[in-house]
Amino acid sequence: MAVAETHTPVIVSAETAQCRTAWWLTAPALGLMVLILLVPVVIAGILSFTDYSLGNDTFNWVGAKNYERLFSRSTYEKMFIATFTYVVTVVPLSVGLGLGAALLINSLGRIGDLYKTIFFLPVMATLLAMAIAWEFMLHPSIGMVNHTLKMSCGTILEIIPFLKKGCGDRFPLWLGDRDYAIWVICFIGVWQGFGFNMVLYLAGLTGVHRELYHAAEIDGAKSGWERFRLVTWPALGPTTVFVVTISCIRAFQVFDTIEAFWPQGGGPNKSTYVMMFAIFEKGVQQNLIGIGSAITVLFLVFVMFLTLIQRWLVERKVHY
Amino acid sequence: MTRDLWKHLILILGALVVIAPFYMMVSYSFKSPGEIDRGEGGFFGRQEMMVDERCVKLRDPNRDDVAAAAPRFPNQTDSQIRDALVAEAVADCQMRPIVFNYSKAFTEAPLLRYLLNGVIVTASIFLIQIVVALPAAYALAKLKFWGREAVFSLVLFCLLIPVHAIALPLYIMLAKVGLTNTYAALVVPWTISVFGIFLMRQFFMTVPDDLIDAARMDGMGEFAIVWRVMLPTAIPALLAFAIFSVVAHWNDYFWPRIVVTGNRDLFTPPLGLREFKGDGDGSFFGPMMATATVIVTPLIVAFLVAQRRFIEGITLSGMK
Repeated sequence: MAVAETHTPVIVSAETAQCRTAWWLTAPALGLMVLILLVPVVIAGILSFTDYSLGNDTFNWVGAKNYERLFSRSTYEKMFIATFTYVVTVVPLSVGLGLGAALLINSLGRIGDLYKTIFFLPVMATLLAMAIAWEFMLHPSIGMVNHTLKMSCGTILEIIPFLKKGCGDRFPLWLGDRDYAIWVICFIGVWQGFGFNMVLYLAGLTGVHRELYHAAEIDGAKSGWERFRLVTWPALGPTTVFVVTISCIRAFQVFDTIEAFWPQGGGPNKSTYVMMFAIFEKGVQQNLIGIGSAITVLFLVFVMFLTLIQRWLVERKVHY
Repeated sequence: MTRDLWKHLILILGALVVIAPFYMMVSYSFKSPGEIDRGEGGFFGRQEMMVDERCVKLRDPNRDDVAAAAPRFPNQTDSQIRDALVAEAVADCQMRPIVFNYSKAFTEAPLLRYLLNGVIVTASIFLIQIVVALPAAYALAKLKFWGREAVFSLVLFCLLIPVHAIALPLYIMLAKVGLTNTYAALVVPWTISVFGIFLMRQFFMTVPDDLIDAARMDGMGEFAIVWRVMLPTAIPALLAFAIFSVVAHWNDYFWPRIVVTGNRDLFTPPLGLREFKGDGDGSFFGPMMATATVIVTPLIVAFLVAQRRFIEGITLSGMK
């Protein structure tokens, strides 16, 4: 015993000392993680079952009433429709355009870098400022978009039904038109996001081995499409999984453009009333914390679900 | 070359759409209200002298002014003196549209203050993120301690939670401790970057243990090792992370919109621009676009100067 007591304490204390410093080093991060990320999730979960408002001292438990409301009121039906329309439109388009641009630019060599720079500009720019610029572009009377469309009047292009209708009557109001509003928002979302995906794909493409293309050619893949299908697309699998997930998460969070265009109410006929805007309007502006928390919880469920699918795909299959 | 022609055509078309709102934003910031309304003047506008109506109105001479100016205009009636004074005011209030737009951008709203706030907020966020994340990342990568696996799984779990999504409970917490409408409210939710911890940990894993052991031999404590050995090796990763962080928070609109209400002294650049839009009447398109240009320019210029680094930084999240 005496021997053990003289030997082990040195080792143990060195180890415990390291253990202690390690905890000291992680403590601030750990504390903040709990306080800023985990506690709010729990709070949102709890408050979503109450009718709490800021400024009230007490609150009542209302059971699942807030959630029932989310799934029964037409306002929230519009919210889900707007959010999913946006996600389902923006994700495939921005991923597809990102991939297309990356393939084109990659095949051009050094000249392609210029396009890369240009396509990346919207990713860097303050979205709110660009939303305001788009608002001017889409202005029904002085905007550049309708000006450009008007130029096509009287030319051969007028055989396109959309232009024919516009030239005969008037061009759309865009942001003021409930049939177009959500699509305009989607368009700006794609405009802003596809450059980001392009850059990720360009990084992915540098990882595709040249020999694979040679091998595919020897195996009879002559056309560019065959080579893409057999080599490029599978090799980009991990990139695609990542790009799709991050595009989804970003798409779910759309807010800036909508708040800039319609500070009140989420667009004509609530056609662009997305979830982030609903959380902001209900929870912060109208102080209906219960319902806002319920939307927050649903939002978190969607986002976590997406990320878990991504991790599952990454671990399971997409490594070639 | 001819085979590449169609590629260039597609890419140029895309580039035009991407550039269009930037072109318009900068162009409007040069033009006079009349030119904007009528959609003329090309890119720079004609830069003819224009009269600032508000400036003239402000200098509208009253009885005292007329009396005070009487010695300068001997032998003239009061109304003649008045007319002369108005003419003087008009002459003094003449300026080029570009000067008008940019000077209005800085004088109508405290734009410099907003820019300064933007710098303060983004810089503090980044510095605190580093101070918190770096030690934790080092401990997770290089120290063996009881509970390390648990801490790391917590980090992986927290990566699932987007801070914007839990904005409502965070807002409630800040409101409860009375921190809304402070710099702290703008900074606190971003102090913990789980992504930063994850990224730095991955980076530190590649640092050889010998380096750390050598430092320990020299009698350095673990804290000293983090800041004097690990930090210098991590500069490239930190730079990329800095760009990632600064771009995200300079451009962020959602969170400042929630926690800062009304208090102009705390406005970040996007909030300032938003306020400008809120009370903008028709003639203020030019100054507003000038504001937008001023806000967007710093990041765009930095991006153009250090493209490679920027793309690396922004797509960091793709390197998991």
